[in-house]
Amino acid sequence: MSEKVGAVMVVGAGISGIQSALDLADSGFKVYLVDSKPSIGGLMSQLDKTFPTNDCSMCIEAPKMVDAGRHQNIELLTYSELVSVEGEDGNFHAKILKKPRSVDIDKCTGCGLCTENCPIMLKIQIPEKPPAPEVRDRELIDGFISEHADLPNPLIQILLDVSGKYSYLPRDVLEYLAFRLEIPFSNIYRIATFYKSFSLEKRGDYHVKVCLGTACHVRGGSRVLDKVRTVADIYGGDTFSIETVNCLGACALGPIIVVNEEVHGHVTIDGVDKVMNELGASKAEGGEEE
Amino acid sequence: MKFNTPAELESHTKKLVDSLDPNKPVIILCGGTGCVASKCHDLIDAFKEELASQGLEDKVSIRITGCHGFCEKGPLVVIHPEKVFYPMAKPKDVPRMVTETVLGKKVIDELLYIDPGTGEKVIHEYDVPFYKKQDRVIFADNGEIDPRSIDDYITLEGYSSLVKAFDMSSEEIIEEVTKSGLKGRGGAGFPTGVKWGFARKAEGEQKYLICNADEGDPGAYMDRSVLEGNPHSVIEGMIIGAYAIGASQGIAYVRSEYPLAVDNLDIAIKQARESGFLGENILGSGFDFDLKIYKGAGAFVCGEETALIASIEGRPGEPQQRPPFPAESGLWGCPTNINNVETWSNIPHIIKKGADWYADIGTNDSKGSKIFSLVGKITNVGLVEVPIGTTLRTVIYDIGGGIPDGKKFKAVQTGGPSGGCIPEEHLDTPIDYKDLTALGSIMGSGGLIVMDEDTCMVDVAKYFIGFTLDESCGKCTSCREGNARMLEILEDITCGKGTIESLDLLEELSQYVKDSSLCGLGKTAPNPVLTTLMYFRHEYEAHIRDHACPAKVCKDLIWFEIDAEKCTGCTACARKCPVDAITGEKKEAHVVNQDVCTRCGTCYQVCKFDSVQVKTGGDN
Ligand SMILES: Cc1cc2nc3c(=O)[nH]c(=O)nc-3n(C[C@H](O)[C@H](O)[C@H](O)COP(=O)(O)O)c2cc1C
Ligand code: FES
Repeated sequence: MSEKVGAVMVVGAGISGIQSALDLADSGFKVYLVDSKPSIGGLMSQLDKTFPTNDCSMCIEAPKMVDAGRHQNIELLTYSELVSVEGEDGNFHAKILKKPRSVDIDKCTGCGLCTENCPIMLKIQIPEKPPAPEVRDRELIDGFISEHADLPNPLIQILLDVSGKYSYLPRDVLEYLAFRLEIPFSNIYRIATFYKSFSLEKRGDYHVKVCLGTACHVRGGSRVLDKVRTVADIYGGDTFSIETVNCLGACALGPIIVVNEEVHGHVTIDGVDKVMNELGASKAEGGEEE
Repeated sequence: MKFNTPAELESHTKKLVDSLDPNKPVIILCGGTGCVASKCHDLIDAFKEELASQGLEDKVSIRITGCHGFCEKGPLVVIHPEKVFYPMAKPKDVPRMVTETVLGKKVIDELLYIDPGTGEKVIHEYDVPFYKKQDRVIFADNGEIDPRSIDDYITLEGYSSLVKAFDMSSEEIIEEVTKSGLKGRGGAGFPTGVKWGFARKAEGEQKYLICNADEGDPGAYMDRSVLEGNPHSVIEGMIIGAYAIGASQGIAYVRSEYPLAVDNLDIAIKQARESGFLGENILGSGFDFDLKIYKGAGAFVCGEETALIASIEGRPGEPQQRPPFPAESGLWGCPTNINNVETWSNIPHIIKKGADWYADIGTNDSKGSKIFSLVGKITNVGLVEVPIGTTLRTVIYDIGGGIPDGKKFKAVQTGGPSGGCIPEEHLDTPIDYKDLTALGSIMGSGGLIVMDEDTCMVDVAKYFIGFTLDESCGKCTSCREGNARMLEILEDITCGKGTIESLDLLEELSQYVKDSSLCGLGKTAPNPVLTTLMYFRHEYEAHIRDHACPAKVCKDLIWFEIDAEKCTGCTACARKCPVDAITGEKKEAHVVNQDVCTRCGTCYQVCKFDSVQVKTGGDN
């Protein structure tokens, strides 16, 4: 057997995180098991029964939690947030923020007496509403929100408006929407990544849409896409951004590309080269003049 | 102007019809998406300028209509009252068209359409074979009316079906629609009258009506053209449906990728509201109904009705288990009736001309006509409306004009990603829900993608599986994982790593995916694979056994070679090659370095002497 080198970080110590950590640790890796909660266990520990066998959840999970806690190869990093990960396959650096626990975990047995007797817990704490996050064009965004006020759940329509304005979904706007609509940021993220119309990345100076609808495909659309990708790579960075679409309703002109809303029909591979190089070159020149 | 009673509408219609001057020249310009892409806006501007400079603005009108269907020859100009037809019109010819045709009543010979079949010139739009062989009902007015003018629609007896419907009871309307035999045009082909009956009987204070305009089928654009070109027909159909079902709120779910359709529908809804066709107490009938647009955000699966509802409710578009059907518990838990754009636009015609008239069109078990989007390797790309039961051959050869460039027909794909590929021997099959299903394909929403000998069927299957995999919402394991595994197998085959056994595996997997997926997306996803395996198994085998792609499409199985005899040494290929794989002296035969070549095909396209040749396994 080959020798195991390096360590693995598992983020999230729910049942799947614990099991992964155990499997890795059993096969000889050093594992850091990170969770933002003070204890491992995750959601499963809160469930009564599990699907489909109706077994008791804790009966399944508790032994695994104990195993993970005792395993020589597993180091628990609870009450800790993952701040950043850098590097590449085989060589990552992770920064982890350990929140202060003010309890010596080596001595604590988890008896629960202190929580029962802590006088502060008994006071009702009303969380202060945080101030609205900073956002660009605040009035405009507020306008989008009020425009769809009649809908019970207007998020998708608002995101379409935002995307129409900026051509992508800027993070600050999403954070602001989460605050204003009082929905978790993760829900917004879910919608934003589910639907194809939304992009989380800024577009290039020239946004190239390549049609990969069936009509364009049989006329060589995928080769055109390869070429568009090659040329875009040459200019790199933010000159070109590429999007693939399924049918623009102009199949008679296929294969089609649309550059900043201008339609180029019957494009050849050579034609792509010409159109894009002209734009790329004019941008480069523009840059020099400034 | 607001109409409070049917009589007010009738007198307005009469006034409009009477004020029509049959001799006034009208320049009709197609402003559909296909023609916009062919730069019709330059043409429109040129006409406006020309009329202004000649001081003719009062004497000649310009009308910008929706799609006429003959997108291949866009931008289209039709000059009324003679209906002289100029295809592929250019701004530079505009002054002549105005002076000679509009004013001088003369036809400009060299701008006319030439029938490729006979080589003869055709003067009138209605004589062009592409139109002549069609039977247009829903699409009949598209080339006549300005979609942004409600008066244009009213002039052609628009909203008169609504008046007629208000004189009927809801049971009578549902009975009429049932009797007409209309089936849903969205894909599943469920009888519309029956569906309305369920929604009518469902209990609930509030009922919803939805128009499904999330046309996701890549290569099909008929719903878009109906919405862009004749939005009032859809609105009228929806009001009649709402009245029959007892719904007070309607939603049109339109793809956000169709901005022109959204705009035109939005304008039409506002006009209908101002005219009293939407809102409270419509035409004094005591019936209330209003309509709203909801934009889709780009997910094919949202065309599925339960996913569409989820999306309107603001959730990710994941389909749900049925039953309960939307008719019992749909949007916000209320009874909901969903129909496709084309289905809705059929309704006014059925009410106006009667169920018997409608039932006369079509075949024994499928009635009416259907719009198809005829695209791909076909001479006349465009939208075609024919009675259901017309054969594929008629559509492809008589209307579509056959395959261009003297190539051979290979297959036609119907029904989009859920459909299948039909080979030459079945071309005489009538296009009908039942017959297409018997061939392993489906009618679907009406895409007809024609493929010629240069199309690789394995590649097509791979394309569709890639599409469905990409669009799968991921809820069902069989759809999410099954399609992924099928794609892997197909990829292996197209790069020459496939095995003969994998074909059986593909079939087996297909069956699993079909059987165990929740919604129509997964249930039909393997159809393109199954039909190509059934009709074009030899192509799969060629890829596997001979490492050959007979259509010379699959990159990993082809290479480019330069024929030294034909090569003139013009250096065009060497200059264009992005990876410098081609070497050779000027005026001497060039050579492709196979180790460097990425098979991008540039040299093949730029060579003017046919000296670059595509080779595949078995060739030397
Ligand atoms: C994956 C999938 C995609 C669909 N896409 C569309 C669509 O784009 N347009 C449409 O009208 N119906 C679509 N449908 C069909 C609808 O679910 C539904 O059957 C239809 O809108 C009902 O209207 P009809 O009875 O008028 O056909 C789709 C179904 C599935 C399973
Ligand atoms: S498939 Fe590309 S425009 Fe229709």
